[in-house]
Amino acid sequence: MSRESSSGAGVRVVDARLHLLSRQVLDVDGEPVTTVDDLELVAADARDDDAPRDAAPGEPAELGAILTGPVLVTRLLGGRPPASRWERVPWRDVGHVGTALELTVRADSLDVHWPEGWLREHVVGRIPGGRHDPEEAS
Amino acid sequence: MLTLAVALASTAGCTVASHQEPGQATAAVADAVAQAGSAVATTRLTVSLLDADRVTTPVADAAVLDQVRVLEESTTALTTLVPPDDVSSAQRDAGLAAVADATAEVVTARAWVAREAGGDLSTSGAVPLTASELEADLARAADDLDAVLALAGGA
Amino acid sequence: MKKLLGVALGILTAIGGFVDIGDLVTNAVVGSRFGLSLVWVVVVGVVGICLFASMSGRVAAVSGRATFEIIRERLGPRAAGANLAASFAINLLTLTAEVGGIALALHLASSVEPRLWIPVAALAVWLVLWRVKFEVMENVAGLLGLLLVGFGVALFLLGPDWGELVRQAVPPSPPATEHVATYWYYAVALFGAAMTPYEVFFFSSGAVEEGWTAKDLAQNRVNVLVGFPLGGLLSVAIAACAAVVLLPAGIEVSSLSQIVLPVAQAGGTLLLAVVIVGIVAATFGAALETALSSGYTLAQYLGWSWGKFRRPARAARFHLTMVVALLLAVGILMTSVDPVTVTEMSVVFSAVALPLTYVPILLVANDPEYMGEHVNGRVTNALGMVYLVIVVVAAVAAIPLMIATGAGS
Repeated sequence: MSRESSSGAGVRVVDARLHLLSRQVLDVDGEPVTTVDDLELVAADARDDDAPRDAAPGEPAELGAILTGPVLVTRLLGGRPPASRWERVPWRDVGHVGTALELTVRADSLDVHWPEGWLREHVVGRIPGGRHDPEEAS
Repeated sequence: MLTLAVALASTAGCTVASHQEPGQATAAVADAVAQAGSAVATTRLTVSLLDADRVTTPVADAAVLDQVRVLEESTTALTTLVPPDDVSSAQRDAGLAAVADATAEVVTARAWVAREAGGDLSTSGAVPLTASELEADLARAADDLDAVLALAGGA
Repeated sequence: MKKLLGVALGILTAIGGFVDIGDLVTNAVVGSRFGLSLVWVVVVGVVGICLFASMSGRVAAVSGRATFEIIRERLGPRAAGANLAASFAINLLTLTAEVGGIALALHLASSVEPRLWIPVAALAVWLVLWRVKFEVMENVAGLLGLLLVGFGVALFLLGPDWGELVRQAVPPSPPATEHVATYWYYAVALFGAAMTPYEVFFFSSGAVEEGWTAKDLAQNRVNVLVGFPLGGLLSVAIAACAAVVLLPAGIEVSSLSQIVLPVAQAGGTLLLAVVIVGIVAATFGAALETALSSGYTLAQYLGWSWGKFRRPARAARFHLTMVVALLLAVGILMTSVDPVTVTEMSVVFSAVALPLTYVPILLVANDPEYMGEHVNGRVTNALGMVYLVIVVVAAVAAIPLMIATGAGS
């Protein structure tokens, strides 16, 4: 469970399992980026996102990042991928939690976007018409 | 799970055809003969429609070709059957003979369709000249199948 | 006026898009073996798909979330992953059947072997997915699919004994020659053909593709509630044609060429040509929808960027999924498996998979967080519960019936 202060009176309680996990993540333009496969908890006093410190029991902890990619496999089958292979979206980029999580940045600027970007540059974008806008008259 | 189910379903289909009990063998003969009867009936309908210029030759050819495949299936069902007693053995033999006859007539019908379509079979002697001759042959094959079907207790 | 035209277009597309290879084959097989004694299943199936499609369309329009995003969110990664594996496999089976159906129909039109048509058909499907605007794709396939109305015309030209047809249908009187288990096996198959799960993936994702909002709900409801029942009438006409011509002749349908013979008998080569074009369009439209559904399900589960309204490069993984699905379908067909057999399998497994998509939609349609004021009404929920039972019973019964009847033989 984590708490997210909402404007006006009181506090909106966000249930991690109900409102965060497995929700769609959209970028600032509304383009789907990923699904929330797992969440990373970090120690509350280390706000430096480049070197997050693991949350320790008994100390205040907070949500560091949304995790995706290989963690889905380990969530299904058990185990844990090495930290170097985590695909992270920093929590500070999340702007709104609704039926989807809306980011405040563009998908292209995120590290987790690389498989889409790679396929775009090397496969799909190279096929004739791959960059054609279907909504325009052809 | 899906593959398992498919595998189970297909093996279940196989056991019906080669089951050892007399009643089951008779039912398998009836099934195969009924299937052949459907093929001959389809061919008759196709021939009469083509004769009346109500069907295009590609459709007629495809329809008859599909029936050749159905007859092949009936033949396989009968040849792979192991009849457990004399009664079902006789039924199986009668069925095989009738299906073989039906296959010959349907194959002839296909040649006739090809000739109607302007194929190069016009001089081939074994092909009946008119649709009515062909239909009579097919009707005879259908009657033979019906007789076996009555023998095997199918409707 | 323009609005009225839009409504008319939506309805016509829904009618033309209702029938696919599964409906075509299953209805003709059932008509030739059981007459009209299974028409009640088509009625049950049509009411079900109306309920189900309008619900998933409403969820997508109001929340902006398509079906598989919701399935993942509700069931979690594990159960939704199992659901995805099953749904994707069955959808692939349906796609295979549809591509095979296009090839068979083109074979009837040209006498060129179906195996040569399979790659051509798949390539054409891909080109449309790659290039053509979503609305154009939908409308053209739907309107050409309307030519299947030729089956209805054929039925009238055949001038059947209507009283006899009604007697077969109400009360349902299966022919004495068929086994009870076989009757129920085909009942489940017909139900699966009417309510194929891909229609729901497609309908909800299509609502997102076309940018529906709560304002479009009325149009959605009209499309579904008028279009699908009329599409269901087309299914019944196909069954009735088979019941009038093929059943008395002792013909059991096992191929597409037999399905069109009653049309040829009634209307000659002209009507035959019309119906063949209709079959090509209907199977082509359904191939597009199932190919898209394979991309929709996988992309929505994994949160990838998806949608035909985006440039292919902006939904690269989605487009690649569809290409792979099409290649797999071609691969399966090239083993020279009979597309009609694939179709019969696909409708039965569709019935098995129905609860997987139905239950999450029913749950979310009642969730105020997603739906706000548009949550299910009391009548919808009552009907929803009835169908929950029907769908589960059909799913549980499907495989035992398939084994017991040797797949209806």
